Amino acid sequence: MTTLDTKLLAETPEGIAILLRPAGAVPRGLAYGLDLFIRFVVWAVAAAFLARVKGMGTGLMLISAFALEWIYPIVFELLPGAATPGKRAMGLQVMMDTGLPVTPSAAVTRNLLRVADFMPFMFAFGLLSMLLRADFKRLGDVVAGTVVVHADQVRLAGALPEAEPLAPRVPLTRAQQVAILHLAGRARRLTSERVDELAALAENALPPPDYAPGGVSPAPIRPGPRLAAVAQWLMGQR
Amino acid sequence: MAMTPRQFEARYEPAWVELERGLNALDAGRPSRRKAGPFPTDANEAPGAARVAQLYRQCCEHLALARERAYPVHLVARLEALTARAHQRIYRRHDFGLSALRHLALHRAPAAVRALRWHLLVATLVFVLPTIVVGVATWLDPHFVLTVVDAKQVHQFDGMYGPQAGEHLGRTSGDDWTMFGFYIMNNVGIAFRCFAAGLLLGVGSLFMVGYNGLLAGAVAGFLVTRGDSERFFSFVVTHSAFELTAIVLSGAAGLKLGHAMLAPGRLTRTQALMRAARETSPVVFCFTVMLFIAAALEAFWSSAGWIAPGVKYAVGACCWALVFAYLGLQGKGHDATLLEDRTR
Repeated sequence: MTTLDTKLLAETPEGIAILLRPAGAVPRGLAYGLDLFIRFVVWAVAAAFLARVKGMGTGLMLISAFALEWIYPIVFELLPGAATPGKRAMGLQVMMDTGLPVTPSAAVTRNLLRVADFMPFMFAFGLLSMLLRADFKRLGDVVAGTVVVHADQVRLAGALPEAEPLAPRVPLTRAQQVAILHLAGRARRLTSERVDELAALAENALPPPDYAPGGVSPAPIRPGPRLAAVAQWLMGQR
Repeated sequence: MAMTPRQFEARYEPAWVELERGLNALDAGRPSRRKAGPFPTDANEAPGAARVAQLYRQCCEHLALARERAYPVHLVARLEALTARAHQRIYRRHDFGLSALRHLALHRAPAAVRALRWHLLVATLVFVLPTIVVGVATWLDPHFVLTVVDAKQVHQFDGMYGPQAGEHLGRTSGDDWTMFGFYIMNNVGIAFRCFAAGLLLGVGSLFMVGYNGLLAGAVAGFLVTRGDSERFFSFVVTHSAFELTAIVLSGAAGLKLGHAMLAPGRLTRTQALMRAARETSPVVFCFTVMLFIAAALEAFWSSAGWIAPGVKYAVGACCWALVFAYLGLQGKGHDATLLEDRTR
C-alpha cells in the first residue's frame, strides 16, 4: 500500500497497516516554543517561592531548573496522552514508529538526544533531519525509533448523502467505483455547485439527467444527486 | 456478486461495537478489576481481555477486506481507527514498574556496561591520558595550568582547596543544599550532553571526556605544587568513584552511538543507531544514578572539613571498590541472555 501524502505505515503482526500522520517542523517548533514558555513560567514561579525558603531554597531552585530542562519532557511523554503540554496544545503525540505507545527508554533517548539536534546552533541538525526525512523525525527520533504524530484523526470523507439508488449507465471498474464513492463521501464538505462540477466529470458513467427509476423524470436531475444515487447503488442499496 | 459495503457493515458491525466497548472498559478500569472472566456472560457486560484480542484479530481481517475491496472511506477509516486503538492496547509493554527497575539496576545495567568494554577502554584512555600529561606538566611547571584554565579559575581553585578553605572544601560559597542542586544541574547536564554529543560521529563525546580529563589534571597538578594535595585528594576521593566513572560511562555510551553511525556493519545506519541506543539505554540509567549519588556525596560528605582525611581515604577506597565490583561482577554469568533481549 503506497500513499501520496505524508502518512507513515506501521505494519502490525496481523499484517494490516496502521497509518500514522507524522507532524512536521512547524507544529513541532510551535509546541517546543510553548513548552519553553511554560517551563520558564513554572521556573519563575518556583524560584520566586523558593527564594524565600531558607537553607534548601537555592538548592531546590537549581534542582527544579534541572528537572524542567531534562525530566519535564520525559515525564509528560510517558504519561497517558504521550505529549508535553506544548505538544498537547498543538494536537501532537509521541509514539513508537511501530504505532505503539512510547517506551520509557525511548522517551529518555529521544529527549537526551535533543542536545545533538540543537547542534551546531538553534536546532539546525534537527531541522535538517526533519526536512530531509519523509517521516519528519529529528535525530533523537531516528535513534529512539519514535515519531511525533498528529493525535486527532482528520476525517475528509463522511457517510454518503441519502439518495434513491440508481444503477450506473455502464459497468464500472473498481477504480471508477472508488472515485465515485470517495467523491460522494466528501459531498457534505463541499458546496452543491462544486459537487455538480466534479460529478459532471463522471457524466458518462452516471445515469442520464432525465432518468428516474421506472420512468422519466419531469425535470433534469443535476449531476451531484445522480452521483450520490450511483454511490448508494454501489454501496449495495437496490 | 461480492458482498456489498452495506451487507458487510450490517454483518460485522456488532463485532466492531463489541470491540469498542471492550476497549473502553479496558481504558477505564484498573487491571486488577478485570480478572473476573475473559468472556462476558451477560450481553451488557464489556468483553474481557481475551475476547478483545479475538475481536481485534477479526477486525484486522475486516480492515484488510475493506481495503482490498475498496469500500467507502468512512468504513475503512472507522476500522483503521478501531484497529489502531486495539493494537496500541494489546501490544503495549506491561513490564514496567518496580520489578523492571530492580531488574535494570541489578542485571541489565552492569551487563550493558560490560558489553561496552572496548568503548569504555577508549573513553577511559581519552580521560586518563590528558589527566596524566597535564597533571605532570603542571606539577613540573605550575604556570602550565594557565594554558588550560584562566587566572580567575585558578584563583577559585585556591579558594576551594587552599589553606583558607576552612570548614567547607571544594567551594567558595554556598551551603550543602545549594551545592547539591548545583552538582545535579551541572554534572548530570554535562553527562547527558556528553552522551548526546556522541551522535556527532563520536567526536563530541571524545572531546567532552578529554576536556574534563584535561581540567582534572590541571587542577590536581596545580594543587599538588601548592601543597594542598591532602585537602584536594581527600575531597575528591569519595565522590570521584561515582563521578569520574559516570563521565567515562557517558562518553563510552556516546562513542557507541558514534560507532554505530560510522560503522553500521550489516545493518542500515538507522537500524544500527536504534540498536546502539537500545543497548546503551541501561548505561544512561546507570551513569545518571551514579551522578546523583556523586552529587549527594560531594555536597554533604566530601566537603565536610571536620572529617579526618584518613577516614575519607578509607571510605573513598570502599566506594571505588564498590563501583568496580558492581560494574564488573554484578549479575555476571547471565550477560549473554540479558543482552539477547533486543525488544524495546
